[in-house]
Amino acid sequence: MILAAVGLNHFLILGALLFVAGAVCMATKRNAIGILMGVELVLNAATINFVAFARYNPVFAVEGQIIALFVIVMAAAEAAIALAIVLNFYNNHMTVDVDTAEELKG
Amino acid sequence: MNLLELFGEHPGWYFVAATLVPLLSFVLILLAAAMWCATRPFRTTPAGAALFKLFGGEERGPIPAYVATGAIALAFVFSLIGFIKFTAQQSTFETQIAQSQKQLHALSLKAKAAEEKDKHELEEEIEAEEKKLETTEKMWASARNYAWNGHFDWLRIRPAGMSDPDRGTVLQLGFKIDSLSALMFVMVTFIATLIHLFSIGYMSDELQPEVEDHQVHTRYGHLVRRGRFGRFFMYLSLFCFSMLNLVLADNLFQVFLSWELVGICSYLLVGFYFERQTASNAANKAFITNRVGDAGFILGLLILWTNLGTFNFDEIFHRIRAPLSDSHGSVNVAGRFVRGNVDANNVTKDGQGFTQDEHGSQILLFPHKEPEHYHALVNRVSDNPKPDQHSSMPYWLVVAAGLGIFLGCVGKSAQFPLQVWLPDAMEGPTPVSALIHAATMVAAGVYLVGRCYPLFTYETLLVIAYTGGITLFVAATIAIVMTDIKKVLAYSTVSQLGYMMLALGVGGWVAGLFHLMTHAFFKALLFLCSGSVIYGCHHEQDMLKMGGLFPKMKITALTMLTGVLAIAGIPLFTGWYSKDAILAQAFGFIYVHPQHLLLFLLPLATAGITAFYMSRLWLLTFTGKPRDEHVYEHAHESPWTMTVPLIALAVCSVCVAWGWPVYDAEASWLEHNVHHAQHHAVLADFGSIDYTVSEDHGEYWVVAKRAEENERLYAHYNHHLAGNLALGLVAIGIAFAGVIYWKRLLDPAEAKEQFPRIHAFLMDKWRFDWLYSVMLVRPALVVGHWLAAFDLRVIDGIIHALARFGVLLSKWDGLFDNHIVDGLVNLVGNVMYDIGARLRNVQTGFLRSYVLFLVLAAAGIFMVLAYFVRMATAG
Repeated sequence: MILAAVGLNHFLILGALLFVAGAVCMATKRNAIGILMGVELVLNAATINFVAFARYNPVFAVEGQIIALFVIVMAAAEAAIALAIVLNFYNNHMTVDVDTAEELKG
Repeated sequence: MNLLELFGEHPGWYFVAATLVPLLSFVLILLAAAMWCATRPFRTTPAGAALFKLFGGEERGPIPAYVATGAIALAFVFSLIGFIKFTAQQSTFETQIAQSQKQLHALSLKAKAAEEKDKHELEEEIEAEEKKLETTEKMWASARNYAWNGHFDWLRIRPAGMSDPDRGTVLQLGFKIDSLSALMFVMVTFIATLIHLFSIGYMSDELQPEVEDHQVHTRYGHLVRRGRFGRFFMYLSLFCFSMLNLVLADNLFQVFLSWELVGICSYLLVGFYFERQTASNAANKAFITNRVGDAGFILGLLILWTNLGTFNFDEIFHRIRAPLSDSHGSVNVAGRFVRGNVDANNVTKDGQGFTQDEHGSQILLFPHKEPEHYHALVNRVSDNPKPDQHSSMPYWLVVAAGLGIFLGCVGKSAQFPLQVWLPDAMEGPTPVSALIHAATMVAAGVYLVGRCYPLFTYETLLVIAYTGGITLFVAATIAIVMTDIKKVLAYSTVSQLGYMMLALGVGGWVAGLFHLMTHAFFKALLFLCSGSVIYGCHHEQDMLKMGGLFPKMKITALTMLTGVLAIAGIPLFTGWYSKDAILAQAFGFIYVHPQHLLLFLLPLATAGITAFYMSRLWLLTFTGKPRDEHVYEHAHESPWTMTVPLIALAVCSVCVAWGWPVYDAEASWLEHNVHHAQHHAVLADFGSIDYTVSEDHGEYWVVAKRAEENERLYAHYNHHLAGNLALGLVAIGIAFAGVIYWKRLLDPAEAKEQFPRIHAFLMDKWRFDWLYSVMLVRPALVVGHWLAAFDLRVIDGIIHALARFGVLLSKWDGLFDNHIVDGLVNLVGNVMYDIGARLRNVQTGFLRSYVLFLVLAAAGIFMVLAYFVRMATAG
């Protein structure tokens, strides 16, 4: 049974892979939209972890799923805000290349 | 309200009222002036302007003068009522006492002569008469205490270690009226009233809002200042109050207070034109010279307070002079000092042994309170006596106290060697000179010597006599050459005061104080006349610029002539009575003590000199040809406010000393009145002229002095001799002056050329000012300069060195602060800055690098946590 062979660790590894992929995407992409996508990947990695824990650990059966739902809602909100920032960024810099923004330099 | 019964049973309060009225006037004028100053800033507002106007306004009127004159006139009325009441009461009692004494004397003579069987009857009669006498005396004494004395405690101070709780602890204010103070009151207030009246005319210039002082030059011409009319009268009021309070006082402390008040008033008035350098110098000189005398006064007060514990005159005299009688009858040393030695080896619980000895080093102090059984002369004294016990004090301290108080009087009465201030005090307005010279300031010194007479020992009295003798001669010789009309009068005052002091010193207590009274009248007259002349001549004081003024100012000339004749001692003028009395007393004194011949020769010669220089004064001023046309042209008689006082004083200068019969020099009513106040110590020291009683002194206390030692007796015997000698010299003096200054037979300028050195010596006032300058002022300046140099070099040097050291220390401290403390602080700051600067590079501003750091950090934290968790689970 292939489903029985899939355990918690497989989900965690998938989450970790997704997380690393998202982090690398954030760190390497110069396009703001690309970074936004990386953020989505990281959030989804976390969601997978919560759901997996909810599935395999009865203590978190409800909490895991609820938090996963929260994360999805939050991701939607975050995407909306991030896109708004990106639009403003574009208005100010006429580009979405984040490397052109040096205002954060200390 | 009935003025005559204002104080009912306490008529002594008339004098207190007379004293306080001028004070009230002073306070009123002062308050008005204060209100004037307070309202002046608001004079632009309508209400302020009304108030300002009420207190005088810009042009202040003569109201202060009316207030002050009214006050002093009221004081005169009070004094006069009090004086009449006192004299009436006194004469009633004294007549009774004298009658009893006479009766007693007659009876005792009878008893001596009578048969054995009649003796008993006579003795009974004598006893009855003695009882009567005693009752009368007691009544008189209690009347004096009840009606004419009074005092209250003013200040209580820490006990001075005496067993009597009332003594040495309390300063009192009080009044004591005897015929001397009553007379002084009438004299002072009368003269002061006239002087006030005179001043209204004399000081009228000061009424102007702007007065130009021709003697003060500023960069913009003569000084122009506000008129000071009110201030002048305010000072006069205070001056009168001080003098009256001094006369009123029953204790030395109150005298001292008034003494200083008189001093400050004379300072203020002499320096009334203080913008003039000479006036302010004169005021300073008067004040400082008086301080020298006051130092002695204070010493005297300290000695008396320490040893006797009281300032009250009666108590002091009661303690140091032997009483007239004790439980055993009369005391053979009645009224004298009892000297003796204290035997320190003979000590019991009652005290130390005391043996009487004429040359002993101690004097016996009599108890405050007379004990039940009173033995005046005891042989034991206590160190810390109870009120009814005897004690003793060193004789030299009594002498020192007497000399100290006399030194105060020397200063105030301008006696040698402190006479230098009085002539300079002429810088004050002339009415002030009159007041100072006649009624107040200088009279105070003589008055106090008279008051304190029982305090003076034989040695002190001799010093007083010689001081007076030297003063009267020195001053008279200087007066000969002076040409300033007021300076001549000033020196004549000094000379006359010398007469008074001499009289007091040689036992002429009555004569001296009598002369004080008569002198007050004619000297006030002379000064006011000179004031009138000066006013008439538009403030010209030099006699050499006057002359021939008689037709221009007849009233002044005639009244002044009266004064001149009075001071010269022409018979029937006041001066004659008093000066004769003094000369007679001096004669009596040298008759008993021939070694002091000078004490008679000096005043005798000076009588002639006085007549000379006073005649010179009058002749130079009023007769001959006018020497300065300008002065003569403008000369005029003074207004009535000035001539009325002159006439009043002229009348007094003639009549005030009259008695019945007028031609008898010893019958003066004024003199007899002064005589009532004489302390019995005078009789004890110099004898009595009442020789019928003194022959048998066993019965009654009067004077146990043997005839050959009785100065007063000889004075009485030789009254006419002394008087006629003086009169001869006076005649010569006047004739001499007439020859030189009227008939012009001799030229004074020739005399000046003949004796240039003497003239210069006299012009320099016997070089006293020079002497003081060399002896005191310059050494003081030299010492002052030394001290200043010491200050500059040594004290300032030390202070500068300290300051430099302080600066150096501060510099070191500054270096430490700058380098070490600040260095550490800066170091910390710099390190932090460097760290910050380095870390700043991390903040690249690239979003992606932040993410990278974030991820790496999260991964790092995760790994560390994982490591710890593994360690924990494995362990």
